[in-house]
Amino acid sequence: MIGNIESVRKEFARALEQATTREQLEQVRIKYLARNGLVAELFEHMKSLPADQKPQAGKLLNSLKVEVQQAFEEKRKLMEGEGAKNDVLDRTMPGRPRPLGSKHPITQTIDEIRQIFRSMGFSSAYGPEIETDHYNFEALNFPPDHPARDMQDTFFLSQSKSVLLRTHTSPVQIRTMEGQRPPVREIMPGRVYRNEAVSARSLVSFHQVEGLYVDTGVTFSDLKGTLVAFARQFYGKDVRYKFRPTFFPFTEPSADMYISCFLCKGKGCRMCKQNGWLEILGSGMVHPHLFRNVGYDPEKYSGFAFGMGIERIASLRYGVDDIRMFYENDVRFLNQF
Amino acid sequence: MKISHRWLKEYIPIPLSPDRLADGLSMLGLEVERYEDLGGRYKTFVVGEVLKKEKHPRADRLSVCTVTVGGDPVQIVCGAPNVAVGQKVAVGLPGAVVPRNQHDPNGAPFTLTQATIRGVESFGMICSEYELALGDDTDGILVLDKKAKVGTNLARHLGLDDVLYEMEVTANRGDWMSHIGVAREVQAIVQGRASLPHLRLRESKTRTASCAKVKVVDAKKCRRYVARVVKGVAVRPSPAWVQQRLTAVGIRPINMVVDVTNMVMMETGQPIHAFDYDLLARHTIIVRCASEGEKFTTLDGKERTLRSDTLMICDGEKPVAIAGVMGGHNSEISEKTTTILIESANFEANNIRRTAKFLGMSTDASQRFERGVDPAMAEYAADRVAQLVQEISGGEVLKGRIDVYPGKVRPVKITFRPARSNALLGTSMTKKEIISCLQRLEIKAVKQTKDTVTFSIPGFRTDLTQEVDLIEEVARVYGYNNIETKTRTTVDFSKPFDPLTLQDSLREYLVGAGWNEMITMSLQENHRWHFHGDRPVQVLNPVSADATALRTSLLPGALQAVRHNRSHGTQDLRLFEIGHVFSAREGGNAESFDGYSEEERLLLVLSGNTAPQSFESNSRKTDFFDMKGEVEALLSKFNLDKYRFISYDNAEALIETALGVEINGTYSGFFGKIDKSVTEKFDIETDVFVCEVKTSSIARNWFKEKKYKTLPKFPVVKRDLAFIVDRSLPQENVETAIRSAGGALLGDVKLFDLFVGDQVGIGKKSLAYALEIQPTDRTLTDVEADTFLSKVVAYVEQQCQAKLRRQ
Repeated sequence: MIGNIESVRKEFARALEQATTREQLEQVRIKYLARNGLVAELFEHMKSLPADQKPQAGKLLNSLKVEVQQAFEEKRKLMEGEGAKNDVLDRTMPGRPRPLGSKHPITQTIDEIRQIFRSMGFSSAYGPEIETDHYNFEALNFPPDHPARDMQDTFFLSQSKSVLLRTHTSPVQIRTMEGQRPPVREIMPGRVYRNEAVSARSLVSFHQVEGLYVDTGVTFSDLKGTLVAFARQFYGKDVRYKFRPTFFPFTEPSADMYISCFLCKGKGCRMCKQNGWLEILGSGMVHPHLFRNVGYDPEKYSGFAFGMGIERIASLRYGVDDIRMFYENDVRFLNQF
Repeated sequence: MKISHRWLKEYIPIPLSPDRLADGLSMLGLEVERYEDLGGRYKTFVVGEVLKKEKHPRADRLSVCTVTVGGDPVQIVCGAPNVAVGQKVAVGLPGAVVPRNQHDPNGAPFTLTQATIRGVESFGMICSEYELALGDDTDGILVLDKKAKVGTNLARHLGLDDVLYEMEVTANRGDWMSHIGVAREVQAIVQGRASLPHLRLRESKTRTASCAKVKVVDAKKCRRYVARVVKGVAVRPSPAWVQQRLTAVGIRPINMVVDVTNMVMMETGQPIHAFDYDLLARHTIIVRCASEGEKFTTLDGKERTLRSDTLMICDGEKPVAIAGVMGGHNSEISEKTTTILIESANFEANNIRRTAKFLGMSTDASQRFERGVDPAMAEYAADRVAQLVQEISGGEVLKGRIDVYPGKVRPVKITFRPARSNALLGTSMTKKEIISCLQRLEIKAVKQTKDTVTFSIPGFRTDLTQEVDLIEEVARVYGYNNIETKTRTTVDFSKPFDPLTLQDSLREYLVGAGWNEMITMSLQENHRWHFHGDRPVQVLNPVSADATALRTSLLPGALQAVRHNRSHGTQDLRLFEIGHVFSAREGGNAESFDGYSEEERLLLVLSGNTAPQSFESNSRKTDFFDMKGEVEALLSKFNLDKYRFISYDNAEALIETALGVEINGTYSGFFGKIDKSVTEKFDIETDVFVCEVKTSSIARNWFKEKKYKTLPKFPVVKRDLAFIVDRSLPQENVETAIRSAGGALLGDVKLFDLFVGDQVGIGKKSLAYALEIQPTDRTLTDVEADTFLSKVVAYVEQQCQAKLRRQ
């Protein structure tokens, strides 16, 4: 045993001297100092010695361990010092790159809107993109042969026009109400389709976010309060706003919401077509017709709904002047978000 | 829809600037998209009279004129040969911007200044038609009407002091498609009342009814038909004022009769048609439906095929007009016309819309009828046309009207609860305030109780049918922006709060793992290539050839994105999309949901190199196992321990090397390398790896409740084993054999080396596995470990015809 200790000591001294590179030094460390290195092996071996030999061997072994560790540390420090002199690490070398992921700007915009409404107690709901005339129009108080249907040019899938691609996310309002009793607080994002010529401002499909709040005692004041709170959060706390009457078959009264242009602060610029205001969403108090269709008592419940086009909001926000960019999926574009 | 300010003022006094009026109307919901001040460009031009004309002392062709423009006479040097004393002329004063410069090749505008011309001072300019942009005459100055009043603003004198508003009329407000309709809306923002001009009609002794007959067969589609006859009409171009009015609001003048009907339509909102009376067989009008497939040539010279629900105006023999849409070629007013029959009718809205849609026509008349026209207006409008025709061209208006009005429309009455209105709006208006709001829109309170008010709705408001409609009217007049914006709300605890969705989590994971999310078009070309034998859902009315069918897979969009990126210099791609795919269901009823299936999928695309370029490149081309690793990581991340890769058979051979993904025993998608023949179609010259799975399959396990498993208490023993097996043997067989031999004691097994070479023999390969032996109840001794290993080795050797490879 004692002989073993001595030979390890000598071998180690020689090996340490011969080590000239960091790799070699590491090899030395592994061979002698690692958890199952030679020194550890000696300790392991000591356990099987007769009891009377143990104290002496233990003493020697402990001193070997301290000695070896100190010598190793000295050599390591010395080598690193030299290395620093001879082989300076060029710290301006680029880091090893890793791929960057990104969420699509449309998804980001939707998520941010969902997040704001989530904090106001809204949850998310979704619906199919293939819809029936019933959900897309009829239940939303678009009578057949009413010019209101011209507001939304429709892609039809079936001969009788009873199956179509939804033109707005509003059918999800009906589906949501059919599935639960008030109170209802839902935010409903999704893809919608319009039969329009493709241009920098319009595509055959785009995304909308719809919102619905139904309970007892919900008023137009609540509509304004909620949407203003949203706008301040999303567009900045100093944003000015106004509501303007408009017409949607499924809300009464109906209101378009405008905010002061965030680019020119309302002075007038290209983005707001020089009038200082940007239309950001349509809204209104849910029409009693919808409540009757889903079996809610319109005398008991009231509510408001709103909807906004995401491509438009994202273009305004990020300054994208051609919405086709959102569908090219150019990684150079996607990585900017 | 264009509205003229001057015209509007004939019905209501407007003490507002165009700017304020536009804003006021917009805030009432009648959006003024823009307005144009026509008079603005002639602001500093006035009517002047030439008092004196003398030769310029130093220029033969110039005259020095003394001109009065209302105040002290001014001296103006003029070069026109036709200038003469006594003429009324158009004078531009210093500061005026002359619209066109006669001496500039491009006719650019310029600003007038007080000038000295060859030593003589000039304080303005007498302008030509060309310079004022009123015509092309450059030969001399414009000489105005002798009656022109000196000092009058030129725009006013010319009738150009007008402002034109471009309005966006909502689908529910047909009444806004006329000047009187807009004037009625103006009542909500000014003090005055709107009213139509009084009629001054000189009728002859001959009765209309003795010269013409009207029979309405379909009284449901034709609610009222008023006719008048005017004899001795001279059909000529309209006088300038009529032409000017129509041109201003975007209607092309045609002839006096047609122009008057259009003018009255723009005034009252009532569409009017005039027939050449002599071309109407038996001087009879019959209103009935067409027969299916019947042909008819409209005014625009186009032949139309009709349906059995198309309402027609016929004479004693044949159709002469498509009711409410367009007149016929065969009864058109022409220069030969001397007697006219004026039709002022009311057609049912839905039928007109169906007809217009079916025929693909949208006319001034159909647009108004389909939004709703007040039947009460028909008689006024007929009289008004007769009166104007008589005033302009003379003629004999026959006595009385023919008026077929079987179901006289009574005013709608709506009971209104002020408390309900306040409860919906969040206001606290009194009954009195509400009544006065609605009164401004001619909605009159006719009965009151303690809690209700009954209102009578004027006939022109066809959009008001129930209480909530009136609540909106109250809100509009009260002002949306005067309603409180509440800053407090209650949060409802009765339902669970919104959890993060699977899609949110998928995105979060993938973005963190360096993937770019894409969104591709779901309407695709029909059909670049079929997939899985899916039957794509066709759009029946596509807008363009590249968007005719719904995608059956996210793949085509992804390949387009790969192509786009490669052609723009980005080769290394890690893209994903979450989106819906669609297909027609075999044997399903296409008229209901039953005929379609729609599901959400996740698609991953890998192409190019595995890592971005770096100084010590350890990057290489992406291969099948990169995609397999990504799929495994994703499925593990979403708690899918029960997934399995199965062989994937693709009949269309879109995918070259592929595996199917089975989750909980259900086929859920696939991954693999896109076949070259497909990538080539997309001009992609590199390997593209994709994975497409149903998100619903992932969702099923994602919600699984998580339970903690105790960590091992005893040390793990690690041993490596290498086997030499036939090269054709799937490694999976060896791995499975190790696992079944190992049983509960065996922890993780990992393949860490694959070796093919002479050392292991021809047709053989070496597979090396790292095994973890994990006892749960004690520390394993070396002997126990060795025994365990030899059991595993023996089993694998026997099961896989393998040989343990010794170091």
